Amino acid sequence: MVNNISFSILKKTRRIFLLVLVFLSLVSSLRAETNYLKLGEQELSLGNLEQAKQYFLQVKPPLTDEDLDFLRARLILAKLYFNEHEFTLAKKQCEQILKYYPQNLETQNLLKAIKNEEKRFFQRFLDNGKKYLPALLKGTVMTLTLVLFTMLVSPLGGLVIALGRISRFLPLSLFCWFIIWMFRGTPLLLQLFFIYYGLPALGITLKPLTAAFWGLGLNYSAYLAEIIRAGIQSIDAGQMEAAKALGMTYGQAMRRIIIPQTYKRIMPPIGNEFIALIKDTALVSTIAMVELMRSADQLFNTYFDVTVLILAGIIYLLLTTVFTLTFEKIERKVGAYEQR
Amino acid sequence: MNKDNQVLVELKNITKRFGEVVAIDKVNLKVHKGEKVAIIGPSGSGKSTLLRTINFLEKIDEGQIFFEGKEVGYVFKRNKRVLDKPKKICALRSEIGMVFQHFHLFPHLTVIENVMEGPRTVLKKNKQEAKSIALDMLKKVGLLDKKNVYPACLSGGQKQRVAIARALAMKPKLMLFDEPTSALDPELVGEVFEAIKKLAQEGMTMIIVTHQMGFAREMADRVIFMEHGRFLLEAKSKEFFSSSLENPRIKSFLQKILD
Ligand SMILES: Nc1ncnc2c1ncn2[C@@H]1O[C@H](COP(=O)(O)OP(=O)(O)O)[C@@H](O)[C@H]1O
Ligand SMILES: [Mg+2]
Repeated sequence: MVNNISFSILKKTRRIFLLVLVFLSLVSSLRAETNYLKLGEQELSLGNLEQAKQYFLQVKPPLTDEDLDFLRARLILAKLYFNEHEFTLAKKQCEQILKYYPQNLETQNLLKAIKNEEKRFFQRFLDNGKKYLPALLKGTVMTLTLVLFTMLVSPLGGLVIALGRISRFLPLSLFCWFIIWMFRGTPLLLQLFFIYYGLPALGITLKPLTAAFWGLGLNYSAYLAEIIRAGIQSIDAGQMEAAKALGMTYGQAMRRIIIPQTYKRIMPPIGNEFIALIKDTALVSTIAMVELMRSADQLFNTYFDVTVLILAGIIYLLLTTVFTLTFEKIERKVGAYEQR
Repeated sequence: MNKDNQVLVELKNITKRFGEVVAIDKVNLKVHKGEKVAIIGPSGSGKSTLLRTINFLEKIDEGQIFFEGKEVGYVFKRNKRVLDKPKKICALRSEIGMVFQHFHLFPHLTVIENVMEGPRTVLKKNKQEAKSIALDMLKKVGLLDKKNVYPACLSGGQKQRVAIARALAMKPKLMLFDEPTSALDPELVGEVFEAIKKLAQEGMTMIIVTHQMGFAREMADRVIFMEHGRFLLEAKSKEFFSSSLENPRIKSFLQKILD
């Protein structure tokens, strides 16, 4: 009996103790909320926007309908974001307020205003984009011209230099080594400057486009020459022997047997070079060529609008993506015989 | 002279050096039309080099090479021996078929394209002609059903038979085989030997380097034992084995490879 009574008393006191704890924690949390709102407003009046935002974010969701601290804090926050054109963040704050105070008119109106403004901002981006696009596209056509020209010329130039490099005729081999050494060992920018600004001093004056063609063509031929040479030398010597044993000349063996086998191996590094090429064409903007980079530069200097740079970036990305995908397709095709 | 007794290829006193190494040391060899010669000998004795001098894949330092009675392959410029014009060398090579130990099929071409390549590129045959030649040759080596696959999916024995077909498509007057079965699993050796034997029965002139003594005895008219770039023994295949017993070097070599 005695045991039983003492046990029930113990149980009761524990319950009371727990209740007191919950109450205390509630009171303290309520006090903390009021503090954060006040703190935030204080910082705001002092002009410490970031600190104020931090405090407002700490304000806890309301426990009762009468508690309006959360509403006030988050509304200020939403307006701050709105003024900073942080539309997504502002919208998120409004949506949180409406979760607890679905009827609040001020918040609803603010949300509408945000959505409106957001649309206008995007519209402005599009409108400005439309304004810049013709000039940028014109530049893109020039960039593509340079890229396609170099893509056509440099594999041929590279092949010729590579064959010269592996020739047993020493002067030719040395000459090709020299070309590769020079064009791979100096910046493309320097080469372009030399061809466009330097050659006139030697009595050779070239139009910007001609100079750009020469610079890019020679530079990329030199790079591809090394890739092609490595590709040719990676083919088993037995292939050349078998071709010769059939009675093929060196040229026939190269054309029919050796070079076709290099395609699979040289395609990935050549693809890499061509991606670099798309970006490298931007360098010719320094020799009075108006291509994509130069067009973007001119527009940016007129309007000081970051939209121009974003658009130019998007166009470059589109170009590199298309070329990457195309090359992957070609790679898969030329390597087919090793999978069967 | 009887037509069958015409000398097809003759090596006179040829020497080939690689720097200090004398790979071929004043060798003389006559091969008659329709004759089959087997060359055996330890590794590094110069067997491959000898075959390769015959189709000018290796340039000799001294001596003369005759093909169908004419001296061929080299001219002298300012007292220096140089290979004849590429056109002439290529023409000579196109009359000599060669089969390598490691096949060297063209991996980017299908089986039939491999066999058509010589007739197309070297003999300038049109596609139709080249194709019909290639089909004939593939039939001969029993690989018609593989004509459209790539070499990568053939067994070693099949690869070597395609290589034989590829050489035969040039209608060569002489066939050189450099250890045609050495790279094969034992169970694949037979099919390649069958193809070569068939060729022998058709009267093809051939020189074959091999370690397979049984095959050499069965197929060859003459067997040559080579060591240090020289012919240590040259005998009719029927007499080769009894003669070889007299030479302790050859005897021990034969014992080693027969084990
Ligand atoms: N391309 C080469 N360069 C240098 N030495 C070589 C070359 N080819 C063969 N040799 C040497 O010539 C000798 C004969 O070689 P090889 O004809 O391949 O012998 P086998 O075919 O009988 O094994 C060997 O000593 C070998 O090392
Ligand atoms: Mg050998």
